[in-house]
Amino acid sequence: MCNRWKKIITTVLVSAMTMGMAACGNSNEEAANDTSAGKLAQEQESEVTEGVESETTAYTDYSGGFESTVTLQIPVFDRAYEGWDVTDNYYTDWVQREFGDKYNIDVEFVAIARSSQVQDYMQLLASGQAPDIIFHYDMPQMLSYYGEASMQPIDFEEIAFYAPTYWNNMSETINMYGQVGGENYFFFADRPDAAYNFMTVIRQDWLDAVNMEVPQNLEEMNEVLAAWKEAGLGNGGGRLISNSFIYDYPYRNFEMDEKEHALYSDLAVAAFTWEPTYRYLKNMNYQYNNGLIDTEFYLNTDDQSTQADFVAGHSGIFGFYSSNNSTIIESLLQNAPEAKLSYLPVSANAPADCKPQSRAYWPFGMIMGINQDCTDEERAAVWMYMEWLSQPENLFCFQNGIEGENYTLDEEGLPVVNTDYDGESKLSPNNNKDYWCLVAESVTYGDDEAKTYEANKRLWAIPGYEYLLDDSYSDYQAVAEYRTTDALFNVVLNSLNDYKAELTEQWKALYVKCVMASEADFDAVYEEACQTYLDAGYQEVLDEKQEAIDAGNYR
Amino acid sequence: MAENAKRNNKHLLKRMSRQWQLYVLLMIPLAFALLFKYGAMIGLVAAFQDYKVVKGFWDSKWVGFEVFRKIFSMKNFGLAVRNTLLLNLLTLLFNFPMPIILALLLNEVKNVVYKKVTQTLLYLPHFLSFVIIGAIAYQMFGVNSGVVNNLIEHLGGQRIPFLQEDMHWLFTYVLVNVWQSMGWGSIIYLAAIAGVNPELYEAATIDGANRFHKIIYVTLPCIKSTAVTLLIMNLGKVMGGSFESVYALRNAATTEFTTTIPVLIYQFGIMGGKFSESTAMGLFQSVVGVVLVLVSDFAAKKLGEEGLI
Repeated sequence: MCNRWKKIITTVLVSAMTMGMAACGNSNEEAANDTSAGKLAQEQESEVTEGVESETTAYTDYSGGFESTVTLQIPVFDRAYEGWDVTDNYYTDWVQREFGDKYNIDVEFVAIARSSQVQDYMQLLASGQAPDIIFHYDMPQMLSYYGEASMQPIDFEEIAFYAPTYWNNMSETINMYGQVGGENYFFFADRPDAAYNFMTVIRQDWLDAVNMEVPQNLEEMNEVLAAWKEAGLGNGGGRLISNSFIYDYPYRNFEMDEKEHALYSDLAVAAFTWEPTYRYLKNMNYQYNNGLIDTEFYLNTDDQSTQADFVAGHSGIFGFYSSNNSTIIESLLQNAPEAKLSYLPVSANAPADCKPQSRAYWPFGMIMGINQDCTDEERAAVWMYMEWLSQPENLFCFQNGIEGENYTLDEEGLPVVNTDYDGESKLSPNNNKDYWCLVAESVTYGDDEAKTYEANKRLWAIPGYEYLLDDSYSDYQAVAEYRTTDALFNVVLNSLNDYKAELTEQWKALYVKCVMASEADFDAVYEEACQTYLDAGYQEVLDEKQEAIDAGNYR
Repeated sequence: MAENAKRNNKHLLKRMSRQWQLYVLLMIPLAFALLFKYGAMIGLVAAFQDYKVVKGFWDSKWVGFEVFRKIFSMKNFGLAVRNTLLLNLLTLLFNFPMPIILALLLNEVKNVVYKKVTQTLLYLPHFLSFVIIGAIAYQMFGVNSGVVNNLIEHLGGQRIPFLQEDMHWLFTYVLVNVWQSMGWGSIIYLAAIAGVNPELYEAATIDGANRFHKIIYVTLPCIKSTAVTLLIMNLGKVMGGSFESVYALRNAATTEFTTTIPVLIYQFGIMGGKFSESTAMGLFQSVVGVVLVLVSDFAAKKLGEEGLI
C-alpha cells in the first residue's frame, strides 16, 4: 500500500516538474522554430507525396486535400453574446463539414474578446497560441503587431494561386495598401460603402414636449438640451472617450492642408493640441457647466452604461449599431411606453460654421496578416479558406442561414428574415458578422445599390422602426462628400507604439479635467493640459510623424 | 568529530525515512513555490530586454538598463511612486491600528452570540472582490445618485463628491480600505489575545487595575511582538499595494492620486503590451519592497523586538 502511494505521489510530482520545465522551455523551442520555420515548411512540402506540383507555378496544389491533417486556426470575435458559443455552434460545424473535411483541414475557431482584443492577441502571441490569422480593424494597431514581429511576409502570387476568387475581389486593395517597410504583409476584407447602420437617435417625444424640431447643427442641439433641462426631461447623455479618436471631425476645417491632416488626424491617439480638439472641448465644457450632458459622463466607460441611461430615460440621445434583433427600443418602451424616436443627423454635432464631417472608412474592412509561426501548409489552408468563404453561396449561407428556416426568398431573390426562428441554425446576434468579416464588412449585391440597401435594411432595420434606417441612409448619402479618411502611414511609428498607452491615459485625465473646469478657467486649464500631453510623449509622436510626412511615407 | 557528524546524518536520514510521508507532503508546496514563485522569476529578464512577445526571452534584444532609464524618465512614473507610497502609508496608518483596536474591543464583549454575529459581519467585506466593493462604493457615494448623497441632500446639505474630487477620493479610498480589511485583520490579534496568560489579568485585578488599565498594561504589551511582526510585513508592502482596490475605485476625474505603480504596470503590460516596461516597474517595486523589509526588520531588532529574519 505504502509503496503504491509512494509511486503515485512520485509520478505526480515528477509529471508536474516535467510540465513546468516543458512550459519554461517552450519559448526557446518556439524561437528555434521561428528561425527555421521556412526551412521546416519547405521540408514538409517536399515530403507531401499527394500534393501535386503545379506545372506553371511553384505552389503545391492541395485541391485534392492535404495528405496529413492540417489544423487551421481562425480568429473570431467573442462579443459575449448570451447563449452563443463562438467556437462551437451550428456554423463552425458547418465550416468543418463543408470546407474542412473536404481538404483534410481541422478548422478551429479561436475566440478573441472584442472588448480586449489587443490584450488577447498579445497573450496568445506570447504563449505561441495565436491563430493563423492576426487581424484588427485599424491600421495603427496592425502596424503595432507588425512591430512585434508577429507576422510573416506574404506572397501575393500565392494568394492568387490558392484563392483566385478572393484575389480577384481584393487584389486592387491588397496591392495598394498591403505593404509595410517595402514588403507585403497585409490582406483585407472588402468594405462596401455602407456604414449607415451606425445611427444616433433622439427622443422625439421630448422634442415635442418642448416644441422643438430635430436639431440640425450644434447650436440648435445645445438649445434643445437646454430646453430639455428646463423642462426636467433629461440630458444629452455622454460617455468617456478612451479610444477611436474621431470626436473632432465636426470641428475640423473642411479641405484642410493635407500634411496638417496627416499629422493630427489619427484614430490611435487623440490630437489634444489641435484646434478642432480645443473647439470640441470648449463646447463640452459649456455643456457640462450648464448641465446639458450627463455630469458623470466619465463614469460611463462602456456602451452598456450609456445604453442603460438612455433606456432608463435619463438621456434622450443614443448612438448604436442598428440590427434587426436589437432590443434597445423594446427595452426603452418598457420603461417609457410614450417614447418616440427620430434619427439625429450627423450635422447636429457640427457647429453651424463647420461642415458635417465624419470619418470615412478605408476601402477595406478587416486588416489581416499571417502569423509568423504559420507553416507553408497552414498558410495555404488560410488562402483556401478565404477562397471558400469568398464563394457567393457560402457567404450567403453564413450571412443569412438556411433557406426555409432562417429566411425565405422573395421574388427579387432577397432573403426575408424569419425573425421568430429559434432553431439550431440561428444566426449570432450580429448575423454571423464575426465569421464572414474576413472577406466582407457588409452584405453587398455588387453594383446594384438599391438591392444591396434592401438586403442590408432587412438585416439592420429594427422591426417597426425601418424609417430610422431610411433616414440614416439618406443622411449618409447627403454628407458623403464630408467624410474623410485618416492618413495611412506605411512605416512603423515607434513613438506611437511607445507612448500610445500613456497618452491614452493622459487624454482621459486631461480632457475630463478641461471639461469639468469652470467656463472662465477653461482656456488656462486647456493650455496647461496641452503642455502636459506634449511632455507625456505627444511631441515625439508629432516629430516622428512629421519626419514620415516629409519623407512621403503616408497616403 | 567526523564520526559524530556521520552519526548525526545517519540519525537524520533515519528520522526522515520514518516520516517520509510528511516530507513527500512538504514537497507539494515546495514544488509550488519553486515553480510559481521562483520559476516565474526567469521572466524578470524581460526588464533588461527589448522584449518582443514572438521572439521570447532568448531572442529578444538585450538592452541592459535602457528600459529602467526609460521608465524613470516617464512623466507618470514619479507621480506613481509618490502615489503608491502615499496611498499605502495612509492605509497603513489607519489599517494597522484599526484591527488592534477592534480586537481589543471584541475581546471585551462578554455576550458570546453578539460577539460572534459582530465578528462575522466584520469579516464579510474581506470576502468581497474589490470589483464588487467598487460598484457598491459608487452606488453609495456617487454625486448624482449615490445613497449617501441623496440622504445628505434630503437633510438639507450639499452633495459631496466623495469619489469624484481628488482629496475626497483619498478620504473615501482609505475609509473603504479600512472597512474592508479591519475585521479580517483582527483575527490574528484575537488569537494573540487568547494566548495571554490569565494569571496576568488576575494579578492586575488584585493590583486594582480596571478594564481599561488591563488593556493598556496587560493585553497590549502581550500582543506587541505580533503587532511588530505584522508591521514589518506591512511595511514591505508599502511599495506594493493592491492594484484592484485603486483600479476599482478610480475614475477619469480623479487621477491625481490614482496613478500608482500597479496601475501603471496594468496599463503598460496588459493594456499596452509593453512587457519590458511593466516588468521593469515590477522589479523596481519588489527591490524597494525588499529594502523596506530589511530596514524595518533592522529597526525592530534595534528596538529590542525579535524581528522577522
